[in-house]
Amino acid sequence: MIVLPMAVPFVVLVFAAIAAMMGFRKVAVWIWFIALAVTVYVFQSHITDPLKIAL
Amino acid sequence: MLALARALNALALLGICGVLLVAFYWQLARGELPCPLCLQQRAAFLGCGLGFMLNVRFGSSEAHYGVVIVSALVGGAVAVRQVLLHIVPGTGSYGSALLGWHFYTWALVAFFLIALFAAALLFIEAQFAEGVSDWRPTATAQVLGWLFVLIVLGNAVSTLLECGFGPCPDNPTAYELLRK
Repeated sequence: MIVLPMAVPFVVLVFAAIAAMMGFRKVAVWIWFIALAVTVYVFQSHITDPLKIAL
Repeated sequence: MLALARALNALALLGICGVLLVAFYWQLARGELPCPLCLQQRAAFLGCGLGFMLNVRFGSSEAHYGVVIVSALVGGAVAVRQVLLHIVPGTGSYGSALLGWHFYTWALVAFFLIALFAAALLFIEAQFAEGVSDWRPTATAQVLGWLFVLIVLGNAVSTLLECGFGPCPDNPTAYELLRK
């Protein structure tokens, strides 16, 4: 499994926030969606042993 | 009611900026580096802030509230996972406590309240009458928006310095990119 750098969601969110301030509303929402997907991916790739046992 | 919705959105954005600035204070002044799950909670707070910022910048839309609520749900899931990680006696905790609770516990409460707040704001139907295209942002909205952009940028730089170009260690003690 590819482990993404933790900074990726934040970098994507920077683009979303700047797009919003530049007036690109829908672009900002789409970029946020990408950031959300990346955050969820990073979250599931950081599941550690105690949770695996619990699940 | 329209003015009330605008004011509450601006207030919520200001509150989220405050939460993230307090986290920064703990990181920079007290030297407590955020763990990977803490960073994901920060990203979720930023997502919530983005939703409120879109409402402040463009006018209220159901989609913007959707951004807030979905971000709060994801952040809540991460916070629950961290609370459960430390709930078993003997497993310890991460970081220091604020007013008796650890930051991830506060984050869980905050995400629940943010989702509830956004859902409650959806009941103000008058805010959707104006539409997003007719909206002219006020000077306050612009200042708040750029403050939020700065906070997002600060988080991105801080995370990059702390974790480098890979996953963060579970208990980070130093900034990866600043190691000699």
